[in-house]
Amino acid sequence: MAPLTRAALAASLLLAAPLVAQEGPGRTLRLVFGAEPTAPVPTLTRGLTQNNDVASLLFLPLAAPGPSLSTVGEAGFEPRLARSWHRRDSLTIAFDLDPRARWHDGRPVTAADVLFTFERARNPKLAPSLALLLGRIASVTAEGDRRVVVRFTERYPEQFYDATFHLGILPAHLLAGVPPDSLAASPFLRAPVGSGAYRWVRLVPGQFTELEAVPGFFLGRPGVDRIVIRYATDPSARLNLLLGGEIDALDFLVPPLDNLQLVGEHPELRVVHAPSLSYGYVLFNHRDPADTSRPHPLLADRDVRRALVLAIDREAITRAIFGTYAVVPIGPASQLVPVQPARALAARGDLAEAQRLLAAAGWVDADGDGIRERDGRPLALTLSYPTSSAPRRLASQALAEQWRRAGVAITLEPLEFAAYGPKFIGRRFDLAFQGATQDPTPSALAQSWSCAGRSGTNYGGYCNPRVDSLLARARTARDPRPLWNEAVGTIDGDAPALFLYAQANVLAVARRFDEIVLRPTSWWSDVWRWRVRAAAR
Amino acid sequence: MRPWLLRRLAQTAATLLLALVLLFLLVRLAPGDPVATMLGEDRAAAPEEVARLRAQLGLDRPLPAQFAGYVAGLARGDLGTSIRYQRPVRELLASRLGPTLLLGGTVLLVNFTVGTWLGVVQATRRGRAADRWLSAAAVTSYAMPSFWLGLALAWLVGLRWRLLPVGGFTDPLGEGGAADVARHLVLPALTLSLASIGAVMRQQRSAAIEALGAPFIVTARAKGLGERAVTWRHAWRSALGPMLTLLGLWLPLVVTGAVFVEAVFAWPGIGQLAAQAAAARDYPLVLGASLLAAAAVLVGSLVADVGQALLDPRVRA
Repeated sequence: MAPLTRAALAASLLLAAPLVAQEGPGRTLRLVFGAEPTAPVPTLTRGLTQNNDVASLLFLPLAAPGPSLSTVGEAGFEPRLARSWHRRDSLTIAFDLDPRARWHDGRPVTAADVLFTFERARNPKLAPSLALLLGRIASVTAEGDRRVVVRFTERYPEQFYDATFHLGILPAHLLAGVPPDSLAASPFLRAPVGSGAYRWVRLVPGQFTELEAVPGFFLGRPGVDRIVIRYATDPSARLNLLLGGEIDALDFLVPPLDNLQLVGEHPELRVVHAPSLSYGYVLFNHRDPADTSRPHPLLADRDVRRALVLAIDREAITRAIFGTYAVVPIGPASQLVPVQPARALAARGDLAEAQRLLAAAGWVDADGDGIRERDGRPLALTLSYPTSSAPRRLASQALAEQWRRAGVAITLEPLEFAAYGPKFIGRRFDLAFQGATQDPTPSALAQSWSCAGRSGTNYGGYCNPRVDSLLARARTARDPRPLWNEAVGTIDGDAPALFLYAQANVLAVARRFDEIVLRPTSWWSDVWRWRVRAAAR
Repeated sequence: MRPWLLRRLAQTAATLLLALVLLFLLVRLAPGDPVATMLGEDRAAAPEEVARLRAQLGLDRPLPAQFAGYVAGLARGDLGTSIRYQRPVRELLASRLGPTLLLGGTVLLVNFTVGTWLGVVQATRRGRAADRWLSAAAVTSYAMPSFWLGLALAWLVGLRWRLLPVGGFTDPLGEGGAADVARHLVLPALTLSLASIGAVMRQQRSAAIEALGAPFIVTARAKGLGERAVTWRHAWRSALGPMLTLLGLWLPLVVTGAVFVEAVFAWPGIGQLAAQAAAARDYPLVLGASLLAAAAVLVGSLVADVGQALLDPRVRA
């Protein structure tokens, strides 16, 4: 045998050997994220998905919304760190902590931990977004080691939701000595200690994070013993890891729809889907991007905005991108936000009506070039979108083509998110293709769709006092749902944006997992409830 | 030699300083804001929150003040703290250095051994079938985009034949060790080598053809030396000069890695880290990685020049 052949054979054996010796995944769940978690600790996550997902495995809130995701009252919530709760009056809720709850270092979870966490979260200098969300909590006090009393500034139906949904509880005994400003740089971030079903094992930079189940977890024995989260920024690399059997589950598989076919060729995988809190919309800027003190020369006109919406067959675009895994939303509402208003503008579009509205507003194609003009000014707009989003990238092309059919010239402006973000926040856009993940309550709509929100996150500048009034009344109404419906329906009719899709999360999961529970507020937080088939252990 | 070397070192230091200024300016002048990516893509951040974070990161200070602060830190050996990871840049770069050196080093080793050998083989068989086939192969592989080649190899070898892992540096569930790393290394290294070895082959072929036609080769043959000895002892040595220059230019590859190939194979190298940092406008991390790359380029050139100078004294003039 030639030396070269011998060397090649030896190398092949060396490389192939570990395939035989390698440990099977068994009761380990292997996931892949697009980015490494940088601060998987409540109050520090900054809303980043990868931080939230890992934090939801390590830390527990007082209670969590049940399968209905109802945010009104307290009936729909499930116990977590709080074993039970009771109302003292319309402004006060008392929570009794579960005496079995332990931190991963063995110390019991106490009322002092809850007080410490709320103190940090309500500090606008430390956690401005959280402080805003918790703004109607007047005080949080302890009665002994096991009882926490939360008092609110006013009576409203989502008190319980506000007290429990927004944050996991932090260990005061480990963090009280860390100055708030130094927490982000503290050793705690390298090895967080929580009270959830999984505890931190290690992070190998750039490669993976490993968590292991807490033996004797007080809410029940986790069915998955270990979670390994790998990182791959490239979507095709993530898909390859799944198809190559190197990970067990991948979320947001669609788009592209072709991925479903590829997964279908692997009998060891199955596709599951769940409605999500995400939706995509093209925001119309009501202010002139060149001078935001002036109204937008085109988009301040309600009829022009309605025409732009009606010029689009939203259903066709949504179906082409997501198949059956998305719907055209009515107003700013994901699939899980509990509103059911009457649709104001047809999801399939109405080109003739769009053309009529534009002509009535004075926009006509006088020179026959296919683009409408008024007073010598063409009906031309720029659509800005971040290239990091596959659905937005795909939909932008289709939108531009359909708008052109109605005589609207669209310039596409694909941008890296780091460049898109400042442009959006600076209100320097005509049309901005946004994606949003909502909280499960329509109360949050006031931030982005009310007149008052214009000084905050209402970057489109939409303002309808009627919507403000409806949302304000809903805040304190015993049953806010009819008011939410009316508010969202009114927004839909005003067309402050083209509400394009509300998508489901489509996942591929290895068949050896059973009883898969997916929680749309943090997809992996209930992995401890999953089970591994006996034959696969 | 010594004055020449000192002069060359001073040039290298000055170039590095210039690179620092230019990199700092270019990174800051690129449109975008790190705060936008810090706050995630799925929610609209309030203007006050954006302003507060910008102030916290010192981004509201004048550019000269930011530069002075960065240089002062650099003088203490501090490359700053990554905005995205909230960890020291030095630590982040160090954590990725091992995989980067391994991948880049393997590719260099393969290219400059196999590639050189194939180039000389082509030169000795100039115009014959083997030369033509190897030329075609070299041009074809060099013309193929590395990310496409990577995806194709991952599909064929990893997914269809199931011979090798399609991503990562090690198997998180395995025992680790050299064999595990080697299995993960094969596909990215093969991709990068296939996409770049053509350049080495072409360069070496030309240099070797020139050397084989030189008068001293005729003399060697006239002395009765065998063709193998003529080729490898005399012609190849003489043809090494251009290869050293090429090696010097390619040394940065060892440090900066290959962004696309690292992404396709989820290889945790500095190239991918730098690309993500650039996309997120993580200024300290981009600057740290860029400075490292610049230093690698300059050191590579220096090493190549010194090698040339040792081989050919005329270079020192």
